[in-house]
Amino acid sequence: MECREMAGRIHEFLDGDLDEYNNQLLQQHLRTCDRCYRHMRELQRAIAFVQSASHIHVPADFTDRVLAKLPAPTKSFRFANWLRKHPMIAAAAVFLLLMTGSISASWFERNPVIQVASANLDKLKIDHSRNVVIVPAGTKIDGDIVVRNGSVEVQGEVTGNVVAIEGKVFLASTAQVAGNTEEIEAIFEWIWYELKNIGNDLLPATP
Amino acid sequence: MFAGEDSMEFVEKRLIERAKRGDREAFAELIEIYKDKIFQLAYRMVGNRQEAEDIAQETFLRVFANLHTYDDQYKFSTWIYRIATNLCIDRGRKKKPDFSLDEEIEQGEGLDWYSRLSSKEQTPEEKVVTQELQETVQDALSQLAPKYRSIMILRYIEDLSLQEISDILKLPITTIKTRIHRGREALRGRLRFM
Ligand SMILES: [Zn+2]
Repeated sequence: MECREMAGRIHEFLDGDLDEYNNQLLQQHLRTCDRCYRHMRELQRAIAFVQSASHIHVPADFTDRVLAKLPAPTKSFRFANWLRKHPMIAAAAVFLLLMTGSISASWFERNPVIQVASANLDKLKIDHSRNVVIVPAGTKIDGDIVVRNGSVEVQGEVTGNVVAIEGKVFLASTAQVAGNTEEIEAIFEWIWYELKNIGNDLLPATP
Repeated sequence: MFAGEDSMEFVEKRLIERAKRGDREAFAELIEIYKDKIFQLAYRMVGNRQEAEDIAQETFLRVFANLHTYDDQYKFSTWIYRIATNLCIDRGRKKKPDFSLDEEIEQGEGLDWYSRLSSKEQTPEEKVVTQELQETVQDALSQLAPKYRSIMILRYIEDLSLQEISDILKLPITTIKTRIHRGREALRGRLRFM
């Protein structure tokens, strides 16, 4: 009967669950009982065999094949793809927008700084507590709105695109946006990356 | 600033956020992190490379399609292992009826097994022996019922904690322990003659 009890302790031991008292009982028993000793050794060997199963690897083109099977890009990523194809225009446009927007409006907040570019800055509101730029209900904004380091909440109407860089775009039920709404993360990082890539492409290939 | 597991989780969280927005490069990086682990799990479950690759692919396609439902309170690894384990078990179900380990144990451990081993024993080269050991381990695993096999693989090949296995399978930790105990006994019965 003692051996039966020990079987449970052996498994608890292998799971690292055995307390000091029961561990002592088990070790003492193992010193005197060949059968339980062998039982323990065989379990440990079985575990070691399974652990020794060699680790296998997927073929090198696995990731590419999975990516090729993904569904077509969704709308929210299309703008980013467009930027990817036209990095120079995109870089120029975004910098220009942000520069003119932030300089003319001087809407600098303490860190992190919300930057807004729009032709109708006077109609926009900023909710400082939520770090959100609001297009109030009943107002109409001509052209695009670009917000960086904050979110945009559209309650009224926008005739162009609404873009949040490192932020989100919220649309109220009353919102009307003629263009696209986009949320972009860390745009400068990858524009910079794309620009560098273009630089590489212009260099003559080494033989 | 970050070290070990924490930095890994931090990197993963960023990648998941980007992938949720449809960023394929981020998703490709997630595949890179998990592809071998998932393939390994599938291969040990189904015992066939081609099928294991199909399961691994399907796992990532499902992850991508369901990213918006992923709750980041849980570890990403827990979620992806759950998807993969379910796919493996579903596939096994379609192929052959589930058999029970409890019967197997009672049937006296591996006489048949022993005779099969001794017939293979002639080859002298060490390489072949290693190869045989690998096959023996795989065979022993494949003879476990899936509900035991998955747990033994997660524990001893994927090297996961009992708690994480309990999270993956959504089973109480006591159930996991009972199955590990039985799984170990069954493997012992099949590997004791090695
Ligand atoms: Zn004993």
